[in-house]
Amino acid sequence: MSKQEIKLLTKIVRELSMILLIHGYRRFTLTTDYGKAETRFFLNVKNLDDELRDHIEEKVNREREIEVETYGWELVGDIDSHSELEILGLLIDYVEIEQDGDETFLTFVRKSMYKSKE
Amino acid sequence: MSKILMKPRIALIVMFVLLFTMALYFDDIPTIYRGYIAILQSPSILISDYLEVGGLGATLFNVATILLINVLMISYLKMRMSGPVFAGILTIAGFSFFGKNIFNTIPIYIGIYIYARSQKLDFKSFFIVVLFSTGISPIVSFMIFGIDWAEWFGLAPYWNYWIGVPAGVLVGMFTGFILPAFGAHTIRFHKGYNLYNIGFALGVISMLFSALLRSFEAIDLDQGGPTTELYHSELMLLTIVLSLVFIAIAYVNDLQVHKKYWTLMKSSGRLVSDYIRDYGRSVSMLNVGVLGLMCVIVLWALNFEINGPIMGGILTVMGFGAFGKHPRNCLPVMLGAYLAVALTDFTFDGIGMMTALLFVTAVAPIAGRYGVFIGVLAGFIHVVITPLALVFQEGGFNLYNNGFAAGFVAALMIPFLEAITKSNGEEEN
Repeated sequence: MSKQEIKLLTKIVRELSMILLIHGYRRFTLTTDYGKAETRFFLNVKNLDDELRDHIEEKVNREREIEVETYGWELVGDIDSHSELEILGLLIDYVEIEQDGDETFLTFVRKSMYKSKE
Repeated sequence: MSKILMKPRIALIVMFVLLFTMALYFDDIPTIYRGYIAILQSPSILISDYLEVGGLGATLFNVATILLINVLMISYLKMRMSGPVFAGILTIAGFSFFGKNIFNTIPIYIGIYIYARSQKLDFKSFFIVVLFSTGISPIVSFMIFGIDWAEWFGLAPYWNYWIGVPAGVLVGMFTGFILPAFGAHTIRFHKGYNLYNIGFALGVISMLFSALLRSFEAIDLDQGGPTTELYHSELMLLTIVLSLVFIAIAYVNDLQVHKKYWTLMKSSGRLVSDYIRDYGRSVSMLNVGVLGLMCVIVLWALNFEINGPIMGGILTVMGFGAFGKHPRNCLPVMLGAYLAVALTDFTFDGIGMMTALLFVTAVAPIAGRYGVFIGVLAGFIHVVITPLALVFQEGGFNLYNNGFAAGFVAALMIPFLEAITKSNGEEEN
């Protein structure tokens, strides 16, 4: 994994945490599975607001744009308003959402762009 | 038919045809040819008004060719016409009135291409940087046409080209090579509140070039030229027609487009705001047209006459109508810029303050995020800082001087504003 990709993945973790904290969620679980071809971020939240869930789904499931990613990726993890999910959407290929009672399971998938130089 | 017209790419092709036709209408081919050669051989540093250097026909031809090459490149790379790409194209077109030409932009593109290959990524991955990178293209022209290498080294005059061309090409390629990584880094400095981020990055690089070049007495860094307002009426007409074309395209696609416009105007505009992606092509094109008319009204109200740099400013404001600007976040910072001139000893007599009134919209997202009063303050600070920013870039190699200044404005204001603002960002929805 390239250093650039490692920095990006770290920023995504920070961004996901910030989104939930900004919206007032204080307890959630975030686990990761870093792979060579793709990385998965598993987010487990209780009582996730339907509106926020739909907002995340809409913004993140948009087509990824590499040229915007290379331009603005340094801003990831530094949102300052509750609706700014556009940049995260540029880095994530898709999100899968499952609901089990009051628990929501979100799986964010990012396919690696930077090839390893190792 | 409406499906074809709604494509921003079609709007740009209409623009190319319009510019090309106007070039042939105003001047004959020999005059355009002579003017165009003069433009290509100009050092092109701030401020080189190509209308003064080569005349109206040649300048419009220069703008049209640059526009065409970039639109063809987008087609060849199969790029989506996103907001940033649209803004980049119109910015290039705008600055082709005063500093960019086919000759001085290509080495920078090659440098970015080499960087992309070194990162094992496609060239198109850095296309936004490519589009904005040419703000420093005067350094290429200056190395070739602005330095008398032969006299400096006591050689025959033909050595000017033998030394100048490789020097210009290499410096351009070097700048292109370092820019993608540096541009991504500088965006953190102002946290995305300076829409001309690459302008800021180029300002820092330009500062390095200025520092190096001014170390040699043989190099004259003060080569800026006069501007001309001879073609004010034609360019005013061109701006109005272009604005109306964009508005017409929006309405051809969606007769109710104005009802969706307010949603776009509620956005802060902070980087990276792709309005075409977020709000659709019709609303974005309407916004582009409205911003064009807004510029016309402001210039008319202040009795400004259009020259090359001002035309560049208008097209840049219009282009960013797809990438972060709208009247609601632009007008407060423009008012702040106006007040800075009205309340201090600055005047609108010089070209610097006139263009600053348009380019101050680089900090429009500050108004979009923090409201009218803070926006006015940002505009005020921007105008006060801009002349100082130019001092650090002696030689005028960075055409985006206002982008350099805007980076400092945002970096000064945003940390404080973030500290005193509640974290929930309720202003947006």
